[in-house]
Amino acid sequence: MHLTRFEINPARRAARAMLASPQKIHGAVMAAFPGSLPTAEDGRVLWRVDRHQHRVLLYLVSPHRPDLTHLVEQVGWPTTSGWDTRDYGALLDTLDVGQQWAFRLRANPAQSRRKDATSTKSQRFGHVTVSQQTQWLLDRAERHGFVVPHGEQDEPDVAVRDRDLSTFARQGRDVTLATAVFEGILRITDPVALRAALINGIGPAKGYGCGLLTLAPVRRA
Amino acid sequence: MTTLLLRLGAPLQSWGTGSRFVRRNTDRAPSRSGVLGLLAAAKGLRRTDPLEELLGLRIGVRVDQVGSLERDFQTARTRDGKNAMPLSYRFYLADAVFAVAIEGDEALLVGLRDALRAPVFPLYLGRRSCPPAGKLLHDLADGTVAERLAGTPWMASPWVQERHRHADVTLDTVVDCTEDEPGVELVQDEPISFDPRHRRYGWRSVRHRPVTIANPAYKPALPDPASDPHCPMAAFEGLA
Repeated sequence: MHLTRFEINPARRAARAMLASPQKIHGAVMAAFPGSLPTAEDGRVLWRVDRHQHRVLLYLVSPHRPDLTHLVEQVGWPTTSGWDTRDYGALLDTLDVGQQWAFRLRANPAQSRRKDATSTKSQRFGHVTVSQQTQWLLDRAERHGFVVPHGEQDEPDVAVRDRDLSTFARQGRDVTLATAVFEGILRITDPVALRAALINGIGPAKGYGCGLLTLAPVRRA
Repeated sequence: MTTLLLRLGAPLQSWGTGSRFVRRNTDRAPSRSGVLGLLAAAKGLRRTDPLEELLGLRIGVRVDQVGSLERDFQTARTRDGKNAMPLSYRFYLADAVFAVAIEGDEALLVGLRDALRAPVFPLYLGRRSCPPAGKLLHDLADGTVAERLAGTPWMASPWVQERHRHADVTLDTVVDCTEDEPGVELVQDEPISFDPRHRRYGWRSVRHRPVTIANPAYKPALPDPASDPHCPMAAFEGLA
């Protein structure tokens, strides 16, 4: 597995057009793998766009080493920076029970239910409130091999930010996603399950920039 | 050698060495004659008294806070208002701070320190209208002028120190020196007599030299605000 970071130049016209639509980023990301598209047994490709002040970073988790030359040429800085790919397996092997990490996850918290009593099929409905979205993550934490410890205020150490209800075009029809970014601290309870979550993602809309969980060292201010 | 350390800070100061007639200039740093005059006033010497015992002192000045130049256009009249005095320009240094090191015989300096604590005549910074503000007298300690000026903490106002966003600060010093040193500057600033009927000043050689000292208000810069605090790549630190 590989973790890749690529910096997007948001001043470029092509970059703005791409960032406007998760469908377009998805296409550009999938074009980073030469040969056939990754199959189910390879593991899947996850991506996420992080914005901080004027910097826009694209993170990528993939079973194969990506070639982002086309992205560098179209939306990056062709002469100054390329991309940074690391062997994710080396990091995943060091994960162990009890470790604490800072995490960030952009997800599409959603529930499946029938729209009303007369509906024959169930549909996905996005959670839109902070409490619903937080609860959605906490409900899944144990299954994915971690717990969110309680912080100083005796509340789970997770913050929800950048809540967004976005709509974009996909094959002539509109897709609407309720997304949120979760940031906080996690403690590992089951390294195997967490490794699977890091590789395969959490929740729906994984093709559209959701579900990629990243870990970083805990830094206390 | 023993050195007495003073801090000269005030809303206004004025240190003239080359002023003539109606234009009364100020230097950018205290003059030797001005500092010796201040010491003489503290000891209670009259203007006609001999200055010999003070002339052996070595004086060095450090410009801790540059201050700004103020010009006063003065239109004084006689008391009854009938006659105008000559129109004059008087220049002042506003909001400046100087560290002054006075090196000399220990017994003499102890006497001067006691005199500064209980001065006979009022003390002022170059001109009668400029009384000192804040703590004037610092300490009496061993060391030469150069050592004291290089080792004394920065005395500038807190707001000046906070605005100076570097770990150290380079300050100009003006120190007495011999005539044959390189970069020497001659100023007519050696008081021979403060007698109002015939003031006399000899020539004096000084040298400007920068000293670099720490800025006590310096705080290291915060991490780059443009860098994201959550950096997954940092998790690879320490891995092969």
